Amino acid sequence: MTDVLLVARSHLLTALRERVTLFWFLVFPVFLLVVLSLVFGRIGEDGGITFDVAFVSFDRTAGGFSDAIEQVVDDLATPAEAGAKPLLSLRRPGSDEDLAEFLGAAMVDVRRGRLAAIVAVPAGFDQSVRARLSPTAAPEDVPLTLYVGSGNAASGMAASILEQVFAGVDRAILARVGRFDESAIVPHRTTWVGSDERETRYVDFLLPGIILMGFFTNGLFGIPGSILFSRDQRVLRRYWVTPLSVPRYLAGLSVGHLTLCVLQYAILYVVGRFALGASVSFAALDTALYLVLAAATFMAFGFLIASLVRTATAGMAVANILNMPMMFLSGLFFPITGLPAFLTAIVYANPVSYLADGLRASVGVESGVFSPILVVVVPLGWIVVSAAVAAWRLRWDVGR
Amino acid sequence: MTAFRALLRAETRLFVRDRVALFFTFLFPLIFILIFGFLMGDVDEPEATMGLYVAPAASDEILRPILDASGLDRVVDLESVADLHSAVTDRAVDFGLTWDGEALDFLYHPNRVQENYAFSQIALGIADAFNLRRQKLDPILPVTSIHVGSEASTRWFNQMIPGILAFAILSSGLLAVSGHLTTMKERKTLDRLLVTPMPPVALLAAIASIRLVVVYASTLLTLLVSVVLFDLAFSIDWLAFTLLIFCSTLGTMGLGTVIALVVRRPSSAGNVANVLAMVMMFLSGIYFPIELMPSFLRVVSRALPLTYLADAMRFATGVSDMSFVRFWVIVASFLALALLLFPVLARYVVRPGRR
Repeated sequence: MTDVLLVARSHLLTALRERVTLFWFLVFPVFLLVVLSLVFGRIGEDGGITFDVAFVSFDRTAGGFSDAIEQVVDDLATPAEAGAKPLLSLRRPGSDEDLAEFLGAAMVDVRRGRLAAIVAVPAGFDQSVRARLSPTAAPEDVPLTLYVGSGNAASGMAASILEQVFAGVDRAILARVGRFDESAIVPHRTTWVGSDERETRYVDFLLPGIILMGFFTNGLFGIPGSILFSRDQRVLRRYWVTPLSVPRYLAGLSVGHLTLCVLQYAILYVVGRFALGASVSFAALDTALYLVLAAATFMAFGFLIASLVRTATAGMAVANILNMPMMFLSGLFFPITGLPAFLTAIVYANPVSYLADGLRASVGVESGVFSPILVVVVPLGWIVVSAAVAAWRLRWDVGR
Repeated sequence: MTAFRALLRAETRLFVRDRVALFFTFLFPLIFILIFGFLMGDVDEPEATMGLYVAPAASDEILRPILDASGLDRVVDLESVADLHSAVTDRAVDFGLTWDGEALDFLYHPNRVQENYAFSQIALGIADAFNLRRQKLDPILPVTSIHVGSEASTRWFNQMIPGILAFAILSSGLLAVSGHLTTMKERKTLDRLLVTPMPPVALLAAIASIRLVVVYASTLLTLLVSVVLFDLAFSIDWLAFTLLIFCSTLGTMGLGTVIALVVRRPSSAGNVANVLAMVMMFLSGIYFPIELMPSFLRVVSRALPLTYLADAMRFATGVSDMSFVRFWVIVASFLALALLLFPVLARYVVRPGRR
């Protein structure tokens, strides 16, 4: 038993002493969890994002609808409460500034991504709205203009929010002139389908995926790296002249690997829970067992790679090549739907896809892509196949 | 010249044999384009399918034309509320709507965390239009959106491709020095070369030439695949594009020199270069816009060379705009980095290995 624990300790210490290993196994998953949560977790939340927007009015009618639009935009640029961030950070023309020049410069800034959008009230806007309100006058088409940047996600979001705000203003004006009966508004509700009846937060969706990513990189790089470098540097050969047997070496390697997985899980969980406010719970027996299954699958996958290559350098090359496609074609970070057949085939062959689905299901963030049987059977199948191939092909010494 | 030719041949062979370098230069951008192209190619025009259940007692006379005009890809009629719940749960539809004559109830799958925001915006538009039309009213505040910018850049995926090209250039340049040269140093290959009549400049010129050719070919291949497979449009300024690749490849090799000098063990330099490239990739606005980042991350992003390289590549491929002055300042900065750091690199090549 001591030899098994010594091999485990050696594997663990080697991983923890190697700064690059530490980075990929521990720092990078934490970095990704934090960055993705900070970026995507704020979309749609009040005060999440402040958009840089310019406002210009060419309509000089005092006290008219153009002033009302300006007031609405001003309100959006004012924080709802002290310390909160406003929705808009507003840029306006100076009192002596030429409005056409201001608009031209602002359009250049939208094109170059320095502004999310421009709200422009055209000349004659007030008159046009009044004509629309009049039952007899024929209204001129003088629409409120939103300038948005092509292909700019922030610009698209800002425009979408502003359109909703102006639709609300539209209804308020119609109600004030007595044409829209607010008491007759048909309410619209939001229903979340499923048991929780609330929307899953992005960090809760992401955390299980990042934990799996940590286990995956650990298995993909850690196991072949440990075996192949030890073999190439003839460290294993020295082991075999001691009473240490191959099965006991493997047992030690597995214990060390699983301990590293536990460390990864603990760090990611603490950061997710306490720094990012994740509420997803892993404190259930089936979840714990599933995490062990995931770690074992990736460990077996690591053995498979180690058995298919001749040198450590080749092993790392293969791991590098497999790493990104397997991670991105698995639903770890975003949903995988609507893919063409050849990519769908990769998704279905990829053990990470099943483990991501299964782990999320076990913590209540189910995505329902695979059946509950498949999310257990397919990873088990990978373990069996990988172990069989490794037992058949893996060489334990450079000389053999 | 003979030394240069011999080194060029040797470097070409080395590069072709280096599977990791080949992967990261040629296959990595292509794999990313294939994955992201199919996953996110239509992110700007989401094809949302809505499940609809209208109670027998309710009329859908007003609702139907609004749904037809709402930009939905498809509306699937379902027989009951339970069927609608199942369809949303099983993802047969993206979101759902029940209309019972009294309220519009929009149903969402709680775990579609990255898509529900877009669906909810469509739902809000439907509810607004429905309430106006029900009272026989038209909007009095018509809003029109004008898209500003290059026609080529109307899709987010178009913006992503030049970012991927910029990343390929950065990795290739960094790893040419902090990876390839440092490995040569560690294996004492450089020491052996130095006792031959080879001038260090010939070695650097051979390495830089190979990287330039390979990076140029890789970027062209990536652009070609994205145009053919995903119908993307680029409006390439070939002079700007070529000069940007030339200067940025040399400039990033200069940055690789800094890593090689700072990192004590030559073998660790490649790892550090990999780590830095990967961190920069996520913070440089390549996969998600900088505008969506919190303010402190935007500051970090603005300090990274990859951010400027990606911006300049977007400009050179015609998918986004920037002033000519800014573009040429970026190109000149990379060239200046190269001019400043190549003499240092030459000294690094001839310096005896550290113990």
